[in-house]
Amino acid sequence: MGNSWMDPDLGPEVTELTEQYMAKKIGRRQFMKRLGVAGVGVAAAASILAACGDDEPDTVATTAAATTATTAAAATDDGATTTQAAAAPEETTATTEAAMMGPVAGGTLREGYNRDVSKHDPATTNWYDPAFFAIYEAILSNDPSGATVPQFASGYSGSDDGLEYRFTIPEGKLSHSGGTIDAEMVAEFYRSIQTYSFIAGLAAPVDTYEADGNDVVMKMKNPWVGALGPHKTGYWRIVNINTWKEHSLTADGELNAASTYGTELADGTGPFTHEEWVPGSHVLVRRWDDYPGSQTPFFENKGPAHLDAIRWTVITEAGQRATQLENGDIDTLINPAHQDIGRLESNSDLTVIRHPEWSGYHLAMNRDYPEYFGDRLTRQGLSHALDREGMVQAILFGNGAATYGPFPTTDRNYESAVEQFNQFDLDLANQKLDRAGWTMGSGGVRERDGVRFEFRYLVEDETVQKSVAEAVQAQFANVGVRANLDVVDRALAFEQQSGPGRDSVEMSLFFWLWPIPLDVLILFGGSQFIPVPNFSHAVEPRVDDAIASWQTSATEAQAQAAASQFQLAWAEELPYIPLMNQNATFVHNNKVHGWQPFVWNLYPYYNDTWIEA
Amino acid sequence: MADRTPTHLEAWNLRLAEFEENQRVGPVRAALGRMRRNKLLLLGSVLGVAVLGTGLFGPIISGADPTYQSFSAILQPPGSEGHLLGTDHLGRDLAVRVFIGIRVSLMVAAGVTVLSLVLGLLLGMFGGFLGGWKDRMIRGTVDFVWGFPLILVAVLFAGGLGEGLFPVILAVGLVNTAAIARVVRGEVLSLSEREFVEAARAGGLSTSRIMWRHLFPNILAPALVLASYYVAVAIIAEAALSFIGLGAQPPTPSLGGMVSDGRNFLQHNVPELGQVGHWGATIPGITILLLVLAVSLIGDGLRDVFDPRLRHEAKGVDEE
Repeated sequence: MGNSWMDPDLGPEVTELTEQYMAKKIGRRQFMKRLGVAGVGVAAAASILAACGDDEPDTVATTAAATTATTAAAATDDGATTTQAAAAPEETTATTEAAMMGPVAGGTLREGYNRDVSKHDPATTNWYDPAFFAIYEAILSNDPSGATVPQFASGYSGSDDGLEYRFTIPEGKLSHSGGTIDAEMVAEFYRSIQTYSFIAGLAAPVDTYEADGNDVVMKMKNPWVGALGPHKTGYWRIVNINTWKEHSLTADGELNAASTYGTELADGTGPFTHEEWVPGSHVLVRRWDDYPGSQTPFFENKGPAHLDAIRWTVITEAGQRATQLENGDIDTLINPAHQDIGRLESNSDLTVIRHPEWSGYHLAMNRDYPEYFGDRLTRQGLSHALDREGMVQAILFGNGAATYGPFPTTDRNYESAVEQFNQFDLDLANQKLDRAGWTMGSGGVRERDGVRFEFRYLVEDETVQKSVAEAVQAQFANVGVRANLDVVDRALAFEQQSGPGRDSVEMSLFFWLWPIPLDVLILFGGSQFIPVPNFSHAVEPRVDDAIASWQTSATEAQAQAAASQFQLAWAEELPYIPLMNQNATFVHNNKVHGWQPFVWNLYPYYNDTWIEA
Repeated sequence: MADRTPTHLEAWNLRLAEFEENQRVGPVRAALGRMRRNKLLLLGSVLGVAVLGTGLFGPIISGADPTYQSFSAILQPPGSEGHLLGTDHLGRDLAVRVFIGIRVSLMVAAGVTVLSLVLGLLLGMFGGFLGGWKDRMIRGTVDFVWGFPLILVAVLFAGGLGEGLFPVILAVGLVNTAAIARVVRGEVLSLSEREFVEAARAGGLSTSRIMWRHLFPNILAPALVLASYYVAVAIIAEAALSFIGLGAQPPTPSLGGMVSDGRNFLQHNVPELGQVGHWGATIPGITILLLVLAVSLIGDGLRDVFDPRLRHEAKGVDEE
């Protein structure tokens, strides 16, 4: 049940060194020297050190640069691997010299993104993208070691009884529009999230947010170990409440459906300002020269950003992502196609960073179609028909893991007992469907009470998701179930999953991504979150009980118990059919520095990022 | 104009020879004779029969299930055990999927051709012969449809009817209808001035009788020749629409959809082979090429055989 993600096949020497360094058996200089001897390149060494919690990556780069740059796959104890192929000596020297000169200002970072963009409004968006990490700041964040550190706040504290948290807001904080952001404004925005955000239930144990001098005081209904988690995510990023209210609310205090907040403007406190937002195409942000700076401990750069601008290009065709990076059309890339990772790792101009991702593919089954999904036996029959291990190998090229319950296997709260459920077994699948009353009908499609087991099956138009959906469709056909695939764009997919009752599609494939799996999965499984984001409209008392236990967990032990209870209930009752989880993969051109995604946050920060001239 | 004289002479001689041949052996045998002498038509026919044969009988001979996935046998190259053309990214047999893809393409092409030919003939004949406000209305509608790019029309239909083959047939069929209607209308306008139509009018025949007994037989041949050209257009359109996800939906294999899936592996180095997995895209791509080539050659050949006038137009005979 521990949280060790070390892969022994990836750089055992480096793994051992990392362990020694983390245990403080060797110093940083010695660590870097030995990494060099082990053949780890500059960027790889910097990433390893950053992942170990070191806050001096440039020093790392300089030190490691003295070593030769050979092909290196370095593993750290958070499961991350960083791979940099051997470069020609002259190239290494040039890159090293540039790195030693230190950050230079200017340039536009061009980043490839594997999804369409969401609107830049934390309170009303249904997804948050990397741009949220440039435009906005959270009150707290995770550092590379996974520790909670201040970001917008200068400090925070919690009461001994776990019923109150205080976040200190420094004076003089500004938003992009020039307005001052004080504790009262932060508290008011958090209250707006409680009122308007569809995801507010994720922090249900929070009672109130009030200002007390320079502090935002968060009072809890009950002690909860997960209290800080949601506040580090994109949905709780700090917005100038005055700007937001002006655009997002009607005179009656209702959400304004025609709001342009997040699409035409955004008023955050991050080092970049919203510039262009073009769905299906790109997002552009520009450096905010008046950025008052950050106290976030692991940022090297405490002032305005080095980059002039960042442009995220939407590339939903998987094969195109790697090609564009190789061609120099983009500088960094989030999630290349799995089949392209090996090729990218062998490219000496690029560095590939991989780590476990808190994500999963699962199938939503709308319970308002009880004729299909109303009974557990049927859902279990469908689940047994799926060869998850095969899909991981064929579609993810091994870059992930099968999931038999809701959590990724690498999560610290993973309950391995879920693996007794949902194993691939065609005979068992057919038996369960038979017992559920489904008999084989015409055209090889099962029937029950005059209803053919044939339904609409929605998937978002993205290459990997389409492959997963197609694989599932064929496996359902093997047990006499016809799922008619409907591939639609992202916005339409969300809309068609979100309707009440039978307005929502029968079945859909959903990919979730969240830094704390349990938090987001309670939204998908909790009965109070029907129809959104409980796309299955499932009411499962065992799941609800587990959610209640989680949201009243005052200790880590209670949280673990609740997490196990939740996973086992999910795996057996199947509000959703779990499929698999993929690793996060980030790739950058070696001319990009200070772009260091790590396992605890979904996306990298851009405060330290710079590009060689 | 001086240099035109020999061309006209040649044309005259050709028509005379054809007339004499028809007189000697009958029009059907004469046409068959011209078909046998037309090398392009023969080549197209051989190619067409081969492609059609693989589409019709390939799946039966192969016996493989086009949707069966073998996760342990993904991206197998052509010639690998049990897979004549290899496998795709989900371990499905590429050969049987290509065979089914040919069927789908031909089915769409047939549907489009029937729809566009029937509608195009009706609209063109009515517009051209009736004239007046009816002609203006039909012409306006046809020009309106013709003015839209095919893909845009298909996207509109997909938006209204959902993705799948039926919207594709409807969208491509309507655009092709406009093309055929325009040509048919022009033919009818020309024929309407001819003596035999004037004679029919003078004889007191009804409008419908003139249209069906006298005009229709005269425009059928050029319309069929034109339709044969649009078969190729329909195949390409179906492939293009499936490529962007608007055509055949999984699990139905389509050639365009297979190219779309396969392109994601064009640069993927298959470790066991030491080569990139290009076949997922190239094999269906080449199949589309062969299919379109066959249909185009047949169309060109039929035009030459059944409508010598068009051939002469192509040579500039009728240019004034």
